[in-house]
Amino acid sequence: MKLSLSVSAAGFALLGACGVASAASVIAPADLVAPIADYKIYVAGEVDALVKATHDFTEAVKAGDLAKAQALYAPTRVHYERIEPVADQFSDLDKSIDVRADDFAAKEADPNFTGFHRIEYGLYAKKSTDALGPLADKLLADVTELQSRIQGLTLPPGKVVGGAAELVEEIAKTKISGEEDRYSRTDLWDFKANVDGARQIVSLLQPLTSKANAKLQTRLDDNFTKVEAILTKYSTAGDGFESYDALSKKDRTALRGPVTALAEDLSKLRGVLGVK
Amino acid sequence: MSEHDNRSGCPFAFAAAKPSRRGLLTGLAAFGGLTIDGSLSADAAVRPHRPIDAAASGRHRLRFHGRHQAGVVTPQQAHGMVVAFDVLATSRDELQEMFKRLTERIRFLMHGGTPEAIDPKFPPPDSGIVGPVIQPDDLSITASVGASLFDGRFGLAARKPRQLVAMAGFPNDSLQEELCHGDLMLQICASGADTVIHALRDIIKTTPDQLAVRWMQDGFLPVEPLSFGHAPAQPTPRNLLGFKDGTANLRSTDPELMDRHVWVKPGSDEPRWAAGGTYQVVRIIRQFVERWDRTPLQEQEGIIGRDKATGAPLGRSREHDDPAYASDPKGLRIPLDAHIRLANPRTTETASSLLLRRGYNYSRSVTASGQLDMGLLFVCFQADLESGFLAVQRRLNGEPLEEYINPVGGGYFFVLPGVATDAGYLADGLLTPQT
Ligand code: HEM
Repeated sequence: MKLSLSVSAAGFALLGACGVASAASVIAPADLVAPIADYKIYVAGEVDALVKATHDFTEAVKAGDLAKAQALYAPTRVHYERIEPVADQFSDLDKSIDVRADDFAAKEADPNFTGFHRIEYGLYAKKSTDALGPLADKLLADVTELQSRIQGLTLPPGKVVGGAAELVEEIAKTKISGEEDRYSRTDLWDFKANVDGARQIVSLLQPLTSKANAKLQTRLDDNFTKVEAILTKYSTAGDGFESYDALSKKDRTALRGPVTALAEDLSKLRGVLGVK
Repeated sequence: MSEHDNRSGCPFAFAAAKPSRRGLLTGLAAFGGLTIDGSLSADAAVRPHRPIDAAASGRHRLRFHGRHQAGVVTPQQAHGMVVAFDVLATSRDELQEMFKRLTERIRFLMHGGTPEAIDPKFPPPDSGIVGPVIQPDDLSITASVGASLFDGRFGLAARKPRQLVAMAGFPNDSLQEELCHGDLMLQICASGADTVIHALRDIIKTTPDQLAVRWMQDGFLPVEPLSFGHAPAQPTPRNLLGFKDGTANLRSTDPELMDRHVWVKPGSDEPRWAAGGTYQVVRIIRQFVERWDRTPLQEQEGIIGRDKATGAPLGRSREHDDPAYASDPKGLRIPLDAHIRLANPRTTETASSLLLRRGYNYSRSVTASGQLDMGLLFVCFQADLESGFLAVQRRLNGEPLEEYINPVGGGYFFVLPGVATDAGYLADGLLTPQT
């Protein structure tokens, strides 16, 4: 997908419209144009990759190739998890793509339970691709729809800056506990994808954050490094991760410190950069 | 007026009519930790806040500083909570940082005050759930440490209190790992439930990379806000089995009794830093209340050993009458296996097992089978774990009451000695012992 990026013009228009607090902040609104444009490129790249990977994944599901479908499940999802704060702005799509069985009274049996986790349930809990065809078609249609909607989306600076915090809140809420990918136990893939997505935003903003509050930037970097160091212990060949069940209790506890500190620090990032 | 008059041995201070200078300074120090730019570092600039006039609030400020921590001999507030944490520090220095920050927060929260108004562009540093002015509200926060703090991480093994171990299950227990143990335990008590939750949220927010909550249990007691001895004595509160609970407890207002049975004394065989502390036992004991309510009254009373309405020992007329076991050697009046008779046979040999109970009732939810999930959040303090709780619990093992109760969680902890001055912090004696 090609995103039209008339950076300066669109960027300024968007900043004007979307409230950049000024006065006290050492960051001028215009300083945010470049990082936000870069972030749009990142998002476009991820959503393109998502569509492509979902295509291959759903094809394997429909072909009845259980092993291949299982192998492609986690690497497909990471593209969604990296840009979740953008993707979940479309709540109808977020629900049909990423809902979990918990949200339905009838759990897995509910006919409205669709998307990645419904297919995950088939592939891992039922160990079968039976009856997953229509669900696979729907998932591909949904992510394709997501791609086209993102194309027309304006990204307010507050949404981008706040997106880093949103991703870490996701981790703190359900990734640490291993509630996300309960049938496949591939939670650590999602965990890492959320971290990547947050770190991407923080890196793009780094020159500004360092200028506004160098200590905050140092702490962010330190805590990302701590989280990544623990996750790396569980990485497997080819960007993959071990099962969530392999995560030791000690490491799970150790992850909570830097994750919670990141959540606290990132909650101040909008204030530090003077965006609403 | 000084913050505290210690002649009575009273563990807490009345609210100062005017904020004391010391309280003010304490508050200032306490607020130094969190700056407006979100810095969590200890080098943050000191920001002023207004201390409050607690006398006007009708509730009181308990004293933080002293030889002992508050919350042990302090009369029980109406709401209590125990929260067990995993300590996330990876070095002795980080551990010290954590205890310093914790001390700073407890000082501030127990003192009360007005947090600095915050730039609306930032998340407010205070949850705001008790309003813009934080009242002391009889708040006590009591910090204790578990055996796991003395493992290999911080090189503290040699300084572990002699009897501190991870709690092992008793025959009637069904301990759930996710409700047991912890490196650090905070017992938070106040007159209002909102004050308790406010304090917990403050501590969680200000120690994000230092402490991780492991489990918690809150509880309540039917008591009035603390009266500091001026109001007539409170009636004994009842537990969820409908019996008065606390009748024969040690009198916590008697300092001599507390020194004998509760506080670790200087020169004991405990590590020197431990003097002024005490062993704390926490047990989450579920009660099968539906079944209890279907049990004949005489059986209930025989199981406990007391009259349900009055609280008197069976066969006696008033609550505080002596059970007079000597006149009932066969247990015709009070069964030999009644809870109170086993817990405290009142013989010279068992005098060493006296302990100070300070538990709360709790009510959680319903179980999978639709029965009420409620019970007793049992807490007790003693200078000697072995001759205190362990001896009593061993006598209770197999008691008829077991049919109606099931301990599911808790742990053993050691309450740190008090912080004597503004310069001190919790665990300073443990971390930097004088030689
Ligand atoms: C759900 C569990 C329990 C219930 C319902 C319960 C109930 C009671 C009641 C109603 C009394 C009489 C009133 C009083 O003197 O306070 C009592 C006394 C006592 N209980 Fe418990 N109790 C429980 C668990 C425990 C445990 C675990 C211990 C300690 C291991 C304990 C130790 C004592 C002691 C020492 C007394 C005072 C006995 C005396 O000095 O006469 N109780 N308990």
